Amino acid sequence: MLMWTRGLGIKNKSLLIGILIIAVFSLIAIFAQAISPYDPSQIDASKLLMPPSKGHLLGTDSLGRDLLSRMIYGARISLSIGLIAVGIATIIGLILGSLSGFYGGFIDTLIMRFVDIMLCFPTFFLILAVVAILEPSIFNIMIIIGLTSWMGPARLIRSEILSLKEREFIQAERAIGASNFRIISFHLIPNAIGPVLVNATLGIAGAILLESGLSFLGLGVQPPTPSWGNILIESKSTLGVAWWITLFPGLAILVTILGFNFMSEGLKKILG
Amino acid sequence: MINYIIRRLLGIIPLLLGITIISFAIIHLAPGKPVTLQQSLNPKVSLEVRARLERLYGLDKPLHLQYINWLKRLVRLDFGRSFSDDRLVLDKILERLPVTLIINISALIFIFIVAIPIGVKSAVNPDGLFDKVMTIVVFIGFALPTFWLALLLMNLLGIKLGWLPISGIKSLDFEYFSLGQKILDLARHLVLPVFVSGLGGLAGISRYMRSSMIEALNQPYISTARAKGLPKRQVVYKHALRNAILPIVTIMGLSIPGLLGGSVIFESIFALPGIGRLFYEAVMMRDYPLIMAEVVLGAVLVMLGNLIADISYAYVDPRIRYKK
Amino acid sequence: MENLLEIRNLKVIFVQGNSVISAVDGVDLDISKDEVVVLAGESGSGKTITALSITKVLPKSAKIVSGSANFNGMDLLQLGEESLLNFRGKEIAYIFQEPTSFLNPVYSIGNQIIEAIMLHQNKSKKQAREEALDLLNLVKIQEPQRVLLDYPHQLSGGMNQRAFMAMALACKPRLLIADEPTTSLDVTIEAEILKLLTDLKRKLGFSLLFITHNLSIAKRIADRVYVMYKGKIVEEAGREQIFNSPQHFHTKELISAYEKIGRI
Repeated sequence: MLMWTRGLGIKNKSLLIGILIIAVFSLIAIFAQAISPYDPSQIDASKLLMPPSKGHLLGTDSLGRDLLSRMIYGARISLSIGLIAVGIATIIGLILGSLSGFYGGFIDTLIMRFVDIMLCFPTFFLILAVVAILEPSIFNIMIIIGLTSWMGPARLIRSEILSLKEREFIQAERAIGASNFRIISFHLIPNAIGPVLVNATLGIAGAILLESGLSFLGLGVQPPTPSWGNILIESKSTLGVAWWITLFPGLAILVTILGFNFMSEGLKKILG
Repeated sequence: MINYIIRRLLGIIPLLLGITIISFAIIHLAPGKPVTLQQSLNPKVSLEVRARLERLYGLDKPLHLQYINWLKRLVRLDFGRSFSDDRLVLDKILERLPVTLIINISALIFIFIVAIPIGVKSAVNPDGLFDKVMTIVVFIGFALPTFWLALLLMNLLGIKLGWLPISGIKSLDFEYFSLGQKILDLARHLVLPVFVSGLGGLAGISRYMRSSMIEALNQPYISTARAKGLPKRQVVYKHALRNAILPIVTIMGLSIPGLLGGSVIFESIFALPGIGRLFYEAVMMRDYPLIMAEVVLGAVLVMLGNLIADISYAYVDPRIRYKK
Repeated sequence: MENLLEIRNLKVIFVQGNSVISAVDGVDLDISKDEVVVLAGESGSGKTITALSITKVLPKSAKIVSGSANFNGMDLLQLGEESLLNFRGKEIAYIFQEPTSFLNPVYSIGNQIIEAIMLHQNKSKKQAREEALDLLNLVKIQEPQRVLLDYPHQLSGGMNQRAFMAMALACKPRLLIADEPTTSLDVTIEAEILKLLTDLKRKLGFSLLFITHNLSIAKRIADRVYVMYKGKIVEEAGREQIFNSPQHFHTKELISAYEKIGRI
């Protein structure tokens, strides 16, 4: 299928596809202002619920807003939420996981029990409960998703560190008197980062999924700010009438997540 | 095995404690008192209700005492009264719990029935046509936002084709149906929700079944089975499958949190009277007693599910059931 | 004496991706009725693959390239899977190195023996159970009623090997192929199992192909010995001759290896 890639010396097709897809969406998100044909919040009462046409490539919604423009800005919102939420989760996971793996003993037991308890909560329930208290906003959502997704990275880093801890180069560092902090930060974590990166890539996809679910329920990104999830809110009421409102945002989410999945498959091959 | 069960049961106690602590901590994250927050949103909350709330939460007392009081009430299953209609939270939950349980258990059964044959067939001919096709299907399945799929299916099967109802759990004239018709009606209403709920876990479990089966087929006892003269069918289904399927029970326990979380969205989309939708409504109305109860309940259900899965595993694997 | 089994020019390869490895490179081997033939060699010499090829129970990556295995006049290597089912477990049976791993952990010993019985004989479950008990007695297992209900992990290696033998001999095969059956057992248990094997052979009357890397066993039980090295048979002789005047350097290596440990 992608035979020509071999000619270019590219062996990792998954990574290539993944990076391509994500790059396209990222560029769309970054250059939203330049690309977007209309202002996403521009209401046009004369063009309500119009199917895709030359003027509006993806159609319009029930307030006459151009769907394509809304989706372009939605890309920016969804991608940044995904990225930052996973960033938060990974940092928390790195800290807790490496402390747990490195020091072992009581700290390890404590942190791992904490992980077990957190894993008992259905993620959505936790997120919703916090949203009920902290009012939905883009900032809050990033933090909430981050705070409820750190368990995976924590466990990963912990097991990586457990296996790396006893290796010679670590013993050597200790022998020359390196501090624990130094060992963890400069030697253990960089070597353990492979699976964490793979996990983070999948995590971004998961975060985007969570955000769109939340926004769909009205508890995520609040209208009029567009997010792929909250555009889908309208699809419930326009079911059977305006297929484009249902199809395109969902398709965007699907392709984005596929992109991240391809990327993580590709990364897995490189990072082992 | 008894020892295993006892140890497992004892291990639950710290978990339960932890669940309550975290749930309590979350609610008290609020910058202001839960009560004032509630009141600012719902000025109709009368002084009397507010006073009752103060007592319920013991908000005048230090935090750890509040926690202990709340815990004491929890143990008696006293979740307090709902803010929205002043009914006992316990009652509201109990009347909605069956629907969610039916849907999620059916989803688990659905996953079991579909994922296992797919995994087995893929494993028996790895990299064959079926396996390759399934790998692609599963890959796409992993990326599919299931609530979007629900909307698409509602559009297609519910509206365009009219084959299945798309909302509620029973038709309008349910009361006039015979018993058989009633069951059929319920089933028709549950097809789509169970299907989209289960789809999420299906991809993962069929993948897991595949690798579990491939590993089982590489075991020495498979050589023995073949050398005995057993036909391929028996080698695969009697010898390999029975081993490969053991960890699946535990893995399926791991999909329970996802199923419960999903029920929030799906029950809202399909307008089903379950605890997921109840939770959603509680969040919309900032009904704190209900929210807290649901959070604890969700975690407890997950824990119970895992417990059942682990105990089933211990029962089904002779190496654990009959320790030397 | 007419040969029970005649293997001629057996060649088997392993195919992994693009690479091809030769496992068995032109092996000739005869076994006559009531004979004990020892197939000796170090790990990787191709002994096990040779044995598994006889009834074509090879792993997926192994392919028989050429050769014949005439069993009572019929070339087994030309038969399809369906027909081979009539030989496996019935005419030709196997016992393997680590009985506990080669037994299915989720079924009881009784279940697995009864399965073997009912596969090739027209018996009811009840009759099969009776026969399973007889078989367990035959292999000198105490408390056969209990062992019938036990699972492999509950029994010792030695017990499992006896149970395995009971299962293999359930349908009175004419050829028993034993692939290093005592290698993972204690020395004392090994002696018991070897004695049991020879006793059973006398009682039931089957030919034995015994695979091992330990020549001292050959000294104890073999009628004839084949020495295998890197996929080929490098020496073949009767028991006395092999030890008194070994020809091939590898045979001498194997003998001296065991003389050093003082087992011969």
